[in-house]
Amino acid sequence: MSTLEGASASAGASTVAGASTLLELHRAGELAARYPLVAPLLAELGPDELARAGALLARVPVDEVRRHHPKLPVVKVAITGHGTLSPLVAPLTAELARHGLVLDPVVSPFDSYVFDLTDPGSALYAAGADLVLCVLDPMIVVDELPVPWTLADLEKIVDEKVRLLTGLADRFQATSRRTGRGTLVLNTLPLPRLLAGQLVDYRSRAALGALWRRAATALLGLADDRPSVVVLDLDPILADGTAARDPRLSVYAKAHLAPGLLAAYAREVGHLARLVAGQTRKCLVLDLDGTVWGGILGEDGPDGVEVADTYRGEAFRAFQKVARQIGSQGVLLAVVSKNDPDPVRRILAEHPGLTLRAEDFADVTANWRPKPENLRETARRLNLGTSSFVFVDDSPYERALVRRELPEIAVVDVDDEPASHVERLLADGWFNVREVTADDRARPARYREDVARGDFLDTFDSIEDYLRELGVAVRLEAARASQVGRLSQLTLRTNQFNLTTRRLQPPAVAALLDDPAALVLAIHSADRFGDNGLVGAILARRVRLDGPDAPDGPAGTDGPRRTDGTGGEVLRIENFLLSCRVFSRGIEHACLVALLHHARDTGVREVLGEYVPTAKNGIVGDLYPRYGFTAYPRYGFTAYPRYGFTAAPAVDAAPVAGAPGGAGGTTFRHDLRDIVAAPAHVALTTVFLGEHE
Amino acid sequence: MINSTEFAVLVRDELGLPVAEEELGSAFDELPGWDSVYLLRLLTVIERETGARVSLPDVLEARSLAEVYTLAVRA
Repeated sequence: MSTLEGASASAGASTVAGASTLLELHRAGELAARYPLVAPLLAELGPDELARAGALLARVPVDEVRRHHPKLPVVKVAITGHGTLSPLVAPLTAELARHGLVLDPVVSPFDSYVFDLTDPGSALYAAGADLVLCVLDPMIVVDELPVPWTLADLEKIVDEKVRLLTGLADRFQATSRRTGRGTLVLNTLPLPRLLAGQLVDYRSRAALGALWRRAATALLGLADDRPSVVVLDLDPILADGTAARDPRLSVYAKAHLAPGLLAAYAREVGHLARLVAGQTRKCLVLDLDGTVWGGILGEDGPDGVEVADTYRGEAFRAFQKVARQIGSQGVLLAVVSKNDPDPVRRILAEHPGLTLRAEDFADVTANWRPKPENLRETARRLNLGTSSFVFVDDSPYERALVRRELPEIAVVDVDDEPASHVERLLADGWFNVREVTADDRARPARYREDVARGDFLDTFDSIEDYLRELGVAVRLEAARASQVGRLSQLTLRTNQFNLTTRRLQPPAVAALLDDPAALVLAIHSADRFGDNGLVGAILARRVRLDGPDAPDGPAGTDGPRRTDGTGGEVLRIENFLLSCRVFSRGIEHACLVALLHHARDTGVREVLGEYVPTAKNGIVGDLYPRYGFTAYPRYGFTAYPRYGFTAAPAVDAAPVAGAPGGAGGTTFRHDLRDIVAAPAHVALTTVFLGEHE
Repeated sequence: MINSTEFAVLVRDELGLPVAEEELGSAFDELPGWDSVYLLRLLTVIERETGARVSLPDVLEARSLAEVYTLAVRA
């Protein structure tokens, strides 16, 4: 017990240490130079310390951070809305810094959101922000009420605001559809007592509540059919006890949302920014003793630990239910526990009271090795990076160790009060995504099929025999609008088989589907063990060498040149992506060969492909040469701002060479004379553009 | 109750503004990087440090950090 207390004290001390180290860096004027150190320093800060950190970090000029660290991802956030909004900048800076992101804020003048969002030529649209925050507060309604006012007056104003915001959302959606850029973030309006309390009869108050909620429903519905719009519901934040309003700040400074609410709002936006930068958390790793159940399995035995049906057992059961719920939406669950392996295997397989069972986990590790070592090993087995892990443990010692050894892992502090486990786990939206796709829901089952494939492989003498018996079927087809979410997700989640690591938000993918020169091909695969789903994509573009879209480099000198006088159409592969679950089965080979044939059959003269190296995509460094492409070192691609490619790749997937935005890669060229044979074991179906029924 | 040296430290460490104690009397428009939003944060910080309530309208009318300090001491 004494060791635990010691560890607890040192974990407490390290919180202070994070804040004081940050302060020392500030005093020394070294925050910009040491910006990459900031994220781990912020990991354990409480609200007050984080507020101060935000104030200090917001003073650091973005350009200075950029100059020191050109590879740190920068997320540009435009802030508009009603009231005084600059108090949002500091908490937002801190929240982005928690994810290793640099905030580049553009704050609109006071109360200019209507103009900003109505005029496509406004400075706000011109800024080309990744996220546009339109911060709404109840005063947009309250400020317009006559004195005295009636419910009818209020209803009229509320309806007008809903119509106005609907129009602004439509305008933003239309503009972003054209540019493929940006996400508009709206929020619901807290219903203040300031308003409800002014009505003295219960019937009117209830009617006010009803009409306010109707407006909230309409606002929340704006996200339904507008992929560029996100609406944050502030009610869950308020319900957990955050005040909506600080009367002095609201009355005197027109800062209508209280600092605590702005901090919580900034936390939500931090997670949206993380998605913009392509950082996704894919796996929830749980400790067992004290986290998933009460007591210690090795001492109390399977019948002694509290998993359900006792006071504390109920608390652990609630936590297990939430973990399973998260697991049902595409997040893998894993265990890393200090225990003997056999009792863990038995209790997960056999204990009737456990909500989380063996089949819920993609991986279970129970041994006595240090947890950081086990986490690395888990990542290797699941073919994921540790930066996609969220780790929950009730031991301050284990948490501190993991934070120190693997600072890229998000660590959730739970303690000896299991009733708080669920709140702690959900306090941060680590697994937030723009949408959950059908592929997400099927993912855990697919990982289990992968285990079966592994066992199947063991029964064959050669990999060729295995592949032949595996029965790989691939469908390469022009992508449809319904696949935009999954395609975007592939660009955001895939780090290994990702030739250029250009991250595309859903609107950018939608814009490509609308673009007649773009070829967006979805790759589906299946085998004898099941359907793998939409596992990859090829994003390509037809360009004429002499047209305005001609790539960099003087054509006719270093670049490809026309030799037949007919004008050369070139097919440029802008990215090629494949999920790590289906590597090494010939799928990429089959698809690339099919694309080359398609190019030749449709009069394309040559196909170009680019590889931009990152820390994680070395596996595809020789993909193009392997299939008959030759390197074209002096013929570089340029960035493609028109299509909203995010110039800020994930920290752990940032290009290792060259400037941001995709330069620094190698271009490869295929002249379409000799196309290698397709792999015999893959049954391929292709449906190119215009071939859909 | 805080003295003006401690107040200058608060300004530097809580707002991040590089202001020396002898510069507290400078008008806000002479302070590089000044923004009135700092007054809101400063109010929160002063009230936390002194445990006393300071009048926000008075703080918003102040023309220099020295005037804010006077309000903080009077509180």
